[in-house]
Amino acid sequence: MKKGNQLSRKIFGRFLRAIVVAFWVMVLSFALIRIAPGDPASTKLGIGAEKEAIDLLRKQLHIGGNPISQFFSYLGDLIHGNLGASLQTGVKVVDIINRTLPLTIYLILLSTLCALLLSIPIGTFIGWSGKGPLVYGFRGITAVFLATPNFFIAMVGILFFSVRHNWAPVFGYDTAFPKNLHYLWLPVVVNTIIMTSVISRVLYSSVTETKDQEFVETGIIRGVSGRRFFWFYILKPSLAPTVVLLSYMMGTMLGATVILETIFSLPGIGREMVGAVLTSDYPLVQGILLYFGAITVFLSFMGDLIAYLLDRRVKI
Amino acid sequence: MSAEPLVVIDDLKIDVRLTRANRLPIVDTATFSIDRGEIIGLIGESGSGKTMLCRALVGTLGRRGAYIAGGKLTFDGIDLVTAKGSAWADIRGKRIGYVPQSALAGPNPVMTIGAQLEESILQDKEFSKGNVKARAIELLNIVQIRRPEVVMHQYQHELSGGMKQRVMIACAIAQQPELIVADEPTTGLDVTVQAEIMRLLLDIRSEFKTSIILVSHDLPLVNQICDEIVVMHAGSTVEKISSRDITRANHPYTRALYDSRIDLVEPKGELTTINGQPPTVGNWPVGCRFSERCNFVEDRCRLPQVLPIIPIGPNGFSTCLRFNELEK
Amino acid sequence: MKIKKSFRSYKAWVARPGGIGISSGIAMMATLLILGVLVPVFGNRSDAFVGDPFARPSLKYPFGLDQLGRDMFSRVFNAVGVDLGVAFLGVTIPFVIGTIIGILLGLARNRYFLSTVGSIIDGINAFPLLIIAIAAITFLGPGLKSVIIILSLTNWARYARIARTKAVVVAQQNYIEAARTLGYPRWRIIRKHLAPNVSAETIAYALSDFILVITVVAGLSFLGLAARPPAAEWGSMIADGRIFIGQAWWLVIFPGLALCWAAVSLSFIVEGLFRRDRGV
Repeated sequence: MKKGNQLSRKIFGRFLRAIVVAFWVMVLSFALIRIAPGDPASTKLGIGAEKEAIDLLRKQLHIGGNPISQFFSYLGDLIHGNLGASLQTGVKVVDIINRTLPLTIYLILLSTLCALLLSIPIGTFIGWSGKGPLVYGFRGITAVFLATPNFFIAMVGILFFSVRHNWAPVFGYDTAFPKNLHYLWLPVVVNTIIMTSVISRVLYSSVTETKDQEFVETGIIRGVSGRRFFWFYILKPSLAPTVVLLSYMMGTMLGATVILETIFSLPGIGREMVGAVLTSDYPLVQGILLYFGAITVFLSFMGDLIAYLLDRRVKI
Repeated sequence: MSAEPLVVIDDLKIDVRLTRANRLPIVDTATFSIDRGEIIGLIGESGSGKTMLCRALVGTLGRRGAYIAGGKLTFDGIDLVTAKGSAWADIRGKRIGYVPQSALAGPNPVMTIGAQLEESILQDKEFSKGNVKARAIELLNIVQIRRPEVVMHQYQHELSGGMKQRVMIACAIAQQPELIVADEPTTGLDVTVQAEIMRLLLDIRSEFKTSIILVSHDLPLVNQICDEIVVMHAGSTVEKISSRDITRANHPYTRALYDSRIDLVEPKGELTTINGQPPTVGNWPVGCRFSERCNFVEDRCRLPQVLPIIPIGPNGFSTCLRFNELEK
Repeated sequence: MKIKKSFRSYKAWVARPGGIGISSGIAMMATLLILGVLVPVFGNRSDAFVGDPFARPSLKYPFGLDQLGRDMFSRVFNAVGVDLGVAFLGVTIPFVIGTIIGILLGLARNRYFLSTVGSIIDGINAFPLLIIAIAAITFLGPGLKSVIIILSLTNWARYARIARTKAVVVAQQNYIEAARTLGYPRWRIIRKHLAPNVSAETIAYALSDFILVITVVAGLSFLGLAARPPAAEWGSMIADGRIFIGQAWWLVIFPGLALCWAAVSLSFIVEGLFRRDRGV
């Protein structure tokens, strides 16, 4: 059918764009090392290093010589799933990422879930029937949380829950399921507060826009009510901007998590990255950066796709 | 025609809440009735309160912070002023259908046309689920949409303005309502499409014996298909007249509206316009509210007073203080 | 009489949508800036040891003293210049670069060139700002200068994207086409028509970006990647105080509140301007 073709053509087009952007993400994480002043390899190994050692490191880092051939050797390694090895420990970068990434993803997904569970009722309720002081209060509070850096919220949380009450540990981690929540709940709360204030606010303003549209009025007069009305006439028409924002927010959360993992000493990819930066572990930083870029590209593709499936007015 | 009119509106007043203490009347002294199977044209400039009157009929005044402040409004003997949720649930979508303003509305953008038709059909809880699809296509056929099977799967942005409006009419007639409220259903559409939609409404009336209240600011257009014309000005109904007698309208406002039409068939050489702007809500003049724009105004028109409702003919009335002198 | 009149017009200005947000945001920011100028001039030196370590907040030292006995009050307000200054540069430089690139892209006609540059811009924007800043610091070395460099190198892409979208819209408008047909020089069209329209859009983004950049700068310092101790900078002060949070909460709370104060005041201004623009 013609209709189905159009749908899949649009999605395929958006997918191609994601691939192209992913390519540039790869190029950028390859190129970033070249902004370093001087020669990173000799900087890294120190003044007294032997020439062979420096050349070997250069080869590992894909620097020096012809940038284009270097890029293809980088690309070749990449295709074989080889991101090099950590300069500090010699462990393969891929292995380090595979070990640390799940915790970070777990943290972000948990925060996103909590944020959605809170934002959808808050945003729709205040958007649909909020007025006067409630709306001002909502806008004021979200404006404050929106602008507050996550590490400050985290510090206040630690001050209250760890120092005063000893409810949340500030270091240590246990991977087993119910026990890990003991270590994760405060970071999740911090993330949730920030995400909720952003998401509920966007949802709020979409719902206020939807509310005044004529098709809603028509729906009421048609006799639609209850859960069906809530979904098809309030939430679904308002959801697209929220979904797009959510996919963007989840990317930003990767950055925020770097700080949270450092504060709470969680063995995630963010803390790994900070450690790698402080020890100039170039291949590890590059590898993590590539992963983060790829994840964000994927998230924004998914966000656009879901938004389009929910609401065909969305341009993708 | 049965003895009891389907809709009775008597001295209806609608206020809007601005702040907790501050109320603003937007409709008052609205009086007319609609018989079964009758098409009534409700005419007025923007701000005359005609849309609010429609909202009162379908019970969505509250969404705009408005409410019925007094008077009588009944539908088939049911008092709509005091109607509660359950009473509305039996009326909305089942006994009263609604066709929205074309320029603003259209179908729900996040549902397929088919889903919306099915939603309208299933307002009848007893309707068998298996027949829904066939019934939806039948409805699309009634409103003369070509290739209904394709349209069923489309979204509103894929349809033209006229098509959207046909779909809205199909939804409105799904339960074969006794009354259709059509709020400016053709504003913003092409002239040819306007005519087609109007013809469709006429067909529906003759097929289902539905009463239709057709709101518009375009008197000549509406006059072609309506039985009766009710003219609103500044929140009150100023004249009700049979469409046959429109050329012999009594109220100067009705005459002015009719004369200000652009006649393409017999160009008059000169365009007539109505003096001044319609009075805005909250700034209605005392006495006759048309007095400031009227060519026949006398001093007594401007005195504070309750305007008389003077019956003219079997169904009509006028509220002009000089109706005797102006009667042709 | 005149004062009364101007006060009345001020009241009318506040009463319009967003007025409360804009005026309270400006007042908050002004307070911070004034203290940020006065305290370094008249207050204690930020690196002077003035009393016992961990002295609680008192009348003499409203924000208390830190682990080395330095006055937290003067440290917090000495940091205003550093934090806001770095963030200001980190916003203005990308703003200028991005707006110019965006306008030039808006005028470009070659489709392949445009889609290539467009996807490079998307590629840069794919990285969360904090992540790419952290990664770049590996190669540039920690420090505030690196932060400004990296913000200039990456953040322009967001401005370029906004500017390009707007420039394309403006360039398609009739009067621009007319000016082009009349043979007006290209730079004149850019200066008179494109630049004002496009920069209005990017300035609006710059304001909200300011909030983000303030927190990114403080976040990097918190991680020890931008300002390093003993510099007075909010993020690094919070990081320093972290270890002592059990015994001296004021080491963390006051720099944090100052940071919030700056970001929230901007957020109120942005919100107010947005409401004013939309008239709700």
